[in-house]
Amino acid sequence: MQTKLYRIFSSARVTVFLFFVLAATSIVGTVIQQGLPLERYEKLFTPRLFAILSFFDVFDMYHSWWFTLLLVLLSINILACTLKQLPRIAKLILNGKKGFDDSVFTSSQIRKTWQRQGNLADLEEQTGVVLRKLAGTPTRVEHNGAHYFFAEKGKYSRLGMVFVHISILFILSGGVIGTIWGFSGQMNVVEGTTSDTVVLLGETGTIKLGFGVRCDDFTVEFYETGMPKEYRSDLTIVEGEKAVISGSIRVNHPLVYKGLKFCQATYGVAGMDKFRVVVHNGRTGKENILTLTLMKKVSLPGSNASFAIAKYVPGQVGRMPTVLGVLLEPGKAHDIFWIEPHRQTDKGGFTFTLQDYESRYYTGIQVSKDPGVLLVWVGFLLILAGFILSLFFSHTRVWVRIAPVEGGYEIAIAATISKNKKAFRKTVEGVIGNFQQGMVL
Amino acid sequence: MNDTFFISIVTFTYFSASLVFLISFMFKNKYMGTAALTLTAAGLVLQTLALILRWIHSYQLGIGHAPLSNFYESLVFFSWSIVFIYMVTRKRYGRSITGILATFFSFLILAYASLSGKVDCQIQPLIPALQSNWLISHVISSFLAYACFAIAFGTSILYLGKRKSGSENIGLLPDAAVLDEITYKMISIGFVLLTLGIITGAAWADCAWGRYWGWDPKETWSLITWFIYGAFLHARLTRGWRGVKMSLISILGFLAVIFTYLGVNYILSGLHSYL
Repeated sequence: MQTKLYRIFSSARVTVFLFFVLAATSIVGTVIQQGLPLERYEKLFTPRLFAILSFFDVFDMYHSWWFTLLLVLLSINILACTLKQLPRIAKLILNGKKGFDDSVFTSSQIRKTWQRQGNLADLEEQTGVVLRKLAGTPTRVEHNGAHYFFAEKGKYSRLGMVFVHISILFILSGGVIGTIWGFSGQMNVVEGTTSDTVVLLGETGTIKLGFGVRCDDFTVEFYETGMPKEYRSDLTIVEGEKAVISGSIRVNHPLVYKGLKFCQATYGVAGMDKFRVVVHNGRTGKENILTLTLMKKVSLPGSNASFAIAKYVPGQVGRMPTVLGVLLEPGKAHDIFWIEPHRQTDKGGFTFTLQDYESRYYTGIQVSKDPGVLLVWVGFLLILAGFILSLFFSHTRVWVRIAPVEGGYEIAIAATISKNKKAFRKTVEGVIGNFQQGMVL
Repeated sequence: MNDTFFISIVTFTYFSASLVFLISFMFKNKYMGTAALTLTAAGLVLQTLALILRWIHSYQLGIGHAPLSNFYESLVFFSWSIVFIYMVTRKRYGRSITGILATFFSFLILAYASLSGKVDCQIQPLIPALQSNWLISHVISSFLAYACFAIAFGTSILYLGKRKSGSENIGLLPDAAVLDEITYKMISIGFVLLTLGIITGAAWADCAWGRYWGWDPKETWSLITWFIYGAFLHARLTRGWRGVKMSLISILGFLAVIFTYLGVNYILSGLHSYL
């Protein structure tokens, strides 16, 4: 039973099957948007379909039990296949030097046997040249009166595919660790304020960081075409009351602190900070520019009246931004009116114009922690190393046997290569041709 | 001089090259083959110059970046990649049949890029998400992979055509086994490049979005493509599949490539909104 299970799991047929199933099922999550609040899906589907889809976790399918199961099966498959191949590969790498195995001279892909006269020293020297040309410095063994030579190169290229397969296990385990012990979420920090709370992705909860993130400044720059050029948040990490580090984050330039990564994700207008209003006093004929913050009363120069801004309405398409002004005069009712840029509003003997304003932004920071990411990078390096090993290197082995026969020596040569067999055969046949004619030097 | 002007010459050159390849192929004429190859090489050199020119031009506009950042530039680079892959693999796996496929595909892509009217060929500044050192390596490895898959797609279609009919003209095609072999070689190179493209994309995503993988439609579709070609390689190398089944998987894989490249952006929505 055990061996049967092993045979199934170590079968490449299973790999092909799993690849197709993973490819086909992965499509679902690209068609149905993932990770929305459940109510949204409930409206989209009939109750029955919704029940079926939620049973299969289709709304978060890449973390569902069945998709995870598929990935687990793939991992077992990779592990079993690698274990199955490992003894053969280990043998090829470790025991390749057994030079006096006569079977290679009758079974190798490329082989040739011929007889020659001459003295042994010359033949051995020529053999050395031939082997060095094809594979590298030979080792030499004497056995039963015959001389065996063996040379090989690129034996570690046999590990290439092992690396590639093992790398997938690294990447997947990195993913598992990240899912269990990592998190990802967003925090919005208004300029000038500090926050320590991250709202988890999918709004499934919040996390307290244990330290504060203060946004000192947020700026957005645009190209002349109106396309965004740069989003930048100047942040300061605050531990207790103490500022620990300051740094700015831009898209593609995150800040890392205590294993947490802070990436510039979004921004928005939190409110208006300062408004400058031009006030013309009709009685004194004087003009003043008042700097106001929302709901803060200031007195108007040259009078006993005071003024405040009660509300700000952002500009919309075809409409200027406006503020709601409040004029307070002793003994009179409040006068409430709109003030716009480039347009004078006359009230109570004053003329008001909105000159400009400074908006206060909030910056949206993607906060993530992923303790599995290192394993993933190792996996990535391993897969690349594996591909390089198996693409650019091949395992070449060449054996030569010189055995004394009547009137001279019998030379047998055998060669194998792990890939590019056609080109290698050509090279070897050329070298053998020269060897036969004694032209190697 | 404007790079789009050069591109129109390149378009014409690839078209001529594919015709001359076709003639050399039909009449088994060696000289025509050499002429076609010369035309292709000239086209590739000119296109490379056009890419460099556009790069320089972007710096003159004060928004300097590699010409790999919008739909037009990706199409031009895709066509460049196909001819480039053909030229570097020509010695080993090249046949005039791959020459026809490569130049004709490149011609079609360039013609679409310049003539469709839907593709804006202006040099645009880089939005913040694209301002990264990963841009060049990610785009180059991805499109070289796409190029390999495009050639494999062509040879797979021809393989099926050859199998289906067996008429006189199709008899000119190389042996089915040769087509099968080219498909396999192209897919194995493409698979490695696609892996590299996904890895550079993951590293970039980690830098830009704080996670290396987020099941965004573009990411998922690149993985779907990877699974299909992974299945292809395993089926061939360990199960010994050959022929029609392999061609069908190769065609399926290329459909996934096209969907990853275009479909995700035009049909689905996600973070990778700039192709």
